[in-house]
Amino acid sequence: MTPKTETNRFAGASRYVLDEELAKIVNISMALEMPLLLKGEPGTGKTMLAHAIAEALGMPLTVLNVKSSMKLVEALYQYDTLTRLNDSRFADSKRDVSRIEDYIRMGKIGQAFTAETRTVLLIDEIDKADTDFQDDMLDVLDQMEFDIIEIDKTVAARHRPVIIITSNAKKDLSDPFLGRCNFHHIAFPEPDMMRRIVAVHFPGVDRDLLENSITAFYRMRQIDGVEKRPATRELINWIRALQSDPDFKPKQLGKGELPYLGVLFKKSQDHQRAREAVSRRRL
Amino acid sequence: MFIDFFYKLRGVGLPVSPTAFLTLHRAMSGGLVNSLEDFYTASRCILIKSERYFDLFDQVFAHHFEGAEMPDPKGIELDEMARAMLDAWLQHSGELSRLLGMDEKALKQLTPEQLLDYFKERLKEQTEAHHGGAKWIGTGGTSPVGHSGYHPGGLRVGGISRRQSAVKVALERRYKDYSLEGPLTQALMGEALKRLRHMVPAGPKDRLNVEATIYQTTKNAGEIEIVFDRALKDKLKVILAVDNGGWSMDPYIPLVQTLFDYARSQFKDLKTYFFHNTIYDTLWGDPARFRKAQRIEEFTRLDPETRLVIVGDASMAPYELLATDGSIYAEERSGRASIECLNFLAETFQRSVWLNPKPAAVWDYTRSIIAIRKVFPMFEFTIDGLEQAVAHLMKK
Repeated sequence: MTPKTETNRFAGASRYVLDEELAKIVNISMALEMPLLLKGEPGTGKTMLAHAIAEALGMPLTVLNVKSSMKLVEALYQYDTLTRLNDSRFADSKRDVSRIEDYIRMGKIGQAFTAETRTVLLIDEIDKADTDFQDDMLDVLDQMEFDIIEIDKTVAARHRPVIIITSNAKKDLSDPFLGRCNFHHIAFPEPDMMRRIVAVHFPGVDRDLLENSITAFYRMRQIDGVEKRPATRELINWIRALQSDPDFKPKQLGKGELPYLGVLFKKSQDHQRAREAVSRRRL
Repeated sequence: MFIDFFYKLRGVGLPVSPTAFLTLHRAMSGGLVNSLEDFYTASRCILIKSERYFDLFDQVFAHHFEGAEMPDPKGIELDEMARAMLDAWLQHSGELSRLLGMDEKALKQLTPEQLLDYFKERLKEQTEAHHGGAKWIGTGGTSPVGHSGYHPGGLRVGGISRRQSAVKVALERRYKDYSLEGPLTQALMGEALKRLRHMVPAGPKDRLNVEATIYQTTKNAGEIEIVFDRALKDKLKVILAVDNGGWSMDPYIPLVQTLFDYARSQFKDLKTYFFHNTIYDTLWGDPARFRKAQRIEEFTRLDPETRLVIVGDASMAPYELLATDGSIYAEERSGRASIECLNFLAETFQRSVWLNPKPAAVWDYTRSIIAIRKVFPMFEFTIDGLEQAVAHLMKK
C-alpha cells in the first residue's frame, strides 16, 4: 500500500468546520482511491466539503454539476462536429480537418483525468440525472478510463482524482453504483457544532447575535408542516442579513421578533406558516 | 478477520456485499485503521450504503464489540408504535384506556416508562395472535376495538385530533413501506413497462442534425446550412395509487413492491399515493396514511396527460363504494360516495388503469369489482395484464 505522508491527509480548511468522523472517512476514501458518496439534507455542506478538500490539499477542483438531461458522454468529452464542418468549409483554421482528435474537447471528468496533477473531482447532485447516467459511470469509476469512440482512443486517468459525489437523495442510487462508493450521511449539525460553523464564517461575530440567532433558528426548524426546513446555508445568510441591518438589535430575537424570514423560508407556504407561528408565539 | 461481524450484519438483513468487506480489509491493511473508533468509521462508510441502515448497523456493532443486546427488528417496530400510543395517552388518557378496556386510574398510576413497557406487551400479544381470538385487537373476534374483515365490526377511533389518529395507525396492521425491499422479478416487470414512455421533442433546439445539415449544405452548393433539432425527452407523468391497507392486499405485497421499486427507478415524474380499499376525497402520500393528505380535487391542476395507475384488489363491501358515508374511517366521510370520487379521477385523467392482483376469473363474483370496472379499465396484475395495461395507457 502507498505510504501516507502528512501532505495528503485532510484535516479541515479555513471556511469549513470538519467533524473528526468525516475527516477519517475522507482520508480512508482517498487512500482506497474510492469515490465518496455524500448524502444529507440540502444545505449541510456536502458541496462545501469538496471545496474544503481542494483547498486543504492544494489540489485543483473540477466541478461537474449534473443536470437532469445529462448524458455521461457530455461529462467525458465532446466531439465538436460543428467546428469541424465549419473548418472544412472555410479551411482557415490551424486545425487539421482530417484529424478528428483536434475536435475532441474534454468534459469535466475528462479534464480531471487528463490534468497534470491530482485533482479533486466533485460530481454534484448525481441523483438529478437518469439511472442510465449512474450505470454508465460505473466502468469509468472502476477502471478510471474511458474510450473516445470517434477516434478509438482510451483516455486513462493520469492521476486518480479524489472523487466526491453528492446526492440529495431524491431517488435511491442503484446498488452496483453504491457498491463502488464509500458512503457517508451528513447529519444536521447540533447547536454546538453550528456555533463553530457560524464562528468560522463570521469571525468576531457579536455573542448576543450568535446565541440568539442560533436559538431562534433551531426553534424555527421545529415549526410543524414546513416543507423545506432552513439549513446551515439559510442560517448563514440570515445572520448576514441581520448584521447588515443597522436598526437591528440581537435582543429583539429573544423577544420573538424575527425579521427577514424570507431568507430562511424559501417556499411561500412555508413562509406563511413560519410567520403565523412566530406571531402566535409572541402574543 | 471479523468474519463473524460480517455475517452478523448480513444476519440482521443489512445488505453488505463481500466486495465491500474486502475493501474494508484493504483499508485495514493500509494502516488506516488504528483504533476501534477508526474501525467503526471505516466499516460504516465502506459497508453501509444508506443512512436508513445506520441505526441497525450501530446496534450490531455494539453487540459484536461490546456485547450489547442484539437488535430485534420486530422490537424496533414495536418501540415506535408503543411510543405513538404513549403520545396518544398523554393527550386523551380516557379515550385510550377505554379502548384498551383498562381502568384509566390503574394506568395513570404507571410512570411513562412502565406505560411504554405495558403498551409494548400489549402490542406483542397483538403480533402473536393476529386474526381472531379474544385478544384486545385483531381482525374478527370479540375485541372492543378493531375491525372484522371488510367493515368495521367494532369501533374505529374517530378523528378527534391528529394525535388520535397516530394510535389508530399504531393499532392497525403493520404497515409495509413497499419501497424498502423488492423481490427479483423486477427485470420481468421492467420489460413490460418499458414501453410506457412518452417521448416528445422538448427544450431548446440544440441537437445538431448531422444528416440534415449535410443534405442542406450540399443543396446549398457547399454553403453551410446548419439544421438543429430538439432533443427527445421522456415527458411521461405517472401517478401510482396503491391500496396498502387491510389484510386482503397482504398476499400481493411482493408484487406491489416490485412494481413500486421499478416505478421509482424508471419514471422521472412519479407520484405515489396510498389508500385503503377505495378512494374517497383524499389520497395519502405516506404509507401510514395519516400524515400527507392530498385532496383529489387538486389533481385537476395536474397535466391531464398524466397516467393514473391504481393498484388494488377492489374488493370491499358494496356500501363502502356506493354509500355517501361509506368509508370505514370516520374522518373520511365527506358526503361523497367513493364511486363518485373514482369517476372524478377517471374524468380528470383520461388515461388510467386499475391493476387488480386478483385473477380475472373471479372478478365477476365481487360486486365492488364489477362497479369499479365500469369506471376504470381493469387489468390483471400479471405480466400479460401489465402489457395490456401499458398498451391501453399509450393508446392515442
